[in-house]
Amino acid sequence: MSYTTLDVHREGHVGWLIFDRPDRGNAMDAAMMNELEAAWAELDADPEVRVIVNTGNGAAFQTGLDVAQLAQDKEALRVQSRRTRDAELRFTAWHNAVWKPVIAAVNGVCAGGGLHFVADADIVIASTEATFVDPHVSVGQVSAYETIALVRRSPMEAVVRMALTGSHERLGAERARQLGILSEVVAPGRLRQRAGEIAELVGRNSPAAMAATKRALWGAFEAGLTEASKAGALELAAMWWHPDQTEGPAAWAEKREPQWAPIST
Amino acid sequence: MGTYQHLIVERHGPVGWLINNRPDQLNAMNAAMRSEFADAWLELDADPEVRVIVHTGEGRAFQTGVDVSEIAGDGVGFARYRDDMERFDLHFTAWHQKVWKPVITAVNGICAGGGFHWVADADIVICASDSQFFDPHVSVGQVVSVEAIGLMRKMPAEAVMRMAFMGKYERMSAQRAYELGMVSEVVDPPEKLRERAQELGETIAKNSPAAMAATKRALAAALEHGLTEACKLGARELVSMWGHPDQEEGPRAFAEKREAKWRV
Repeated sequence: MSYTTLDVHREGHVGWLIFDRPDRGNAMDAAMMNELEAAWAELDADPEVRVIVNTGNGAAFQTGLDVAQLAQDKEALRVQSRRTRDAELRFTAWHNAVWKPVIAAVNGVCAGGGLHFVADADIVIASTEATFVDPHVSVGQVSAYETIALVRRSPMEAVVRMALTGSHERLGAERARQLGILSEVVAPGRLRQRAGEIAELVGRNSPAAMAATKRALWGAFEAGLTEASKAGALELAAMWWHPDQTEGPAAWAEKREPQWAPIST
Repeated sequence: MGTYQHLIVERHGPVGWLINNRPDQLNAMNAAMRSEFADAWLELDADPEVRVIVHTGEGRAFQTGVDVSEIAGDGVGFARYRDDMERFDLHFTAWHQKVWKPVITAVNGICAGGGFHWVADADIVICASDSQFFDPHVSVGQVVSVEAIGLMRKMPAEAVMRMAFMGKYERMSAQRAYELGMVSEVVDPPEKLRERAQELGETIAKNSPAAMAATKRALAAALEHGLTEACKLGARELVSMWGHPDQEEGPRAFAEKREAKWRV
């Protein structure tokens, strides 16, 4: 499929999903929202793709809804309003039930709805130029989905502070790393290279085991500890008869790269 | 008192020690060790002289999870654990065994894969400065699950997911584990780890055992329920201590400038 607002391509086992409206801060217009749903589905369905990197072209990573465009597109606005009300958003990998590992590489400002893509990624790295800001309340909007997910994965005070200071304060990349919102900060010119390196390493692991791991770990956000552990135990035991379980140790003993089976085996 | 082949169980004053003792296998857990864990936790929990439990390992590793050579070597494989795992009927950590005494995990050296069970399920975690943390499960076709689910409730989740998906290709340092709050103290030099764990254990042992048990139950519930529900259960634990003799002994000992004599 061809895209007008995204750059979607493959490099080896790595699928790249790049926001490509640089002159609009990569804000999501109606076209991008439709294309995101298609792009996640396309990369998820491609057996050659084992890991997905999500980043942005230009100075910004992602700045949320393009409110100006949506104001002129009543039908798109109606669809998005309904999806927002019914919790049926389709922007992120999590929204689209992608069980491949997703790395967010935050290249610049990540604002408002852009935080969805940090909250819903598995691994997050950033350039030294990245900043995080949630201006919703400064324009009379509520901050909800993105920050709800963020408070589950990082210390809460920082997230609530961001939600309530709105456009009047920004969280820097280094502070985000200290807080564990992300794990690595690199020079702007090195961000894509580093994201690609991490993706290449992740891509050497068993795709089926990673998919089951991702289901188990995201399940930790849904239930109490015991319930989540029970569900996770089932994911774990379900892999015990998968061919990767013999291939992994065999490859290790023979000092070679494992030949993993496809996820659907 | 039980005898153990793969664990060392000791008492030093009020501190009970549980030490992984398969150093040549990097303390990997075989089926026999798994059974011994179940007994050792219960033994230390039942001993009224033991107020706090420290868990650490012999040799250059703390714990490296299931002993894969046993799994691969005897033809039984993971089948031996299938029923237990599918029913989530596990007995090798303090949490599994419902130990309500404070548990300090003191990570010495390598903590890998299933070793995170004892990090996730401890109350306090300290580590030696040369400790290394990594989770190689997906690199050998295994799923990361229960231990990481527990960790994600206690620390920033990105770091846990990064370890899960990086597998054997990256290690986390003691310093980063400290920054993230996975451990509360890095002991340097590493040789001082046990001394520091004993000190910490003795300090904690000065507190009311009954109040600490109720506190531990209350905080464990915070990992199980929504905020309001957890607070309701916590309130019950709190009120249950009212009228307990420790509640009079505590202020009296403070006024008389002496150590409290707690009811055990």
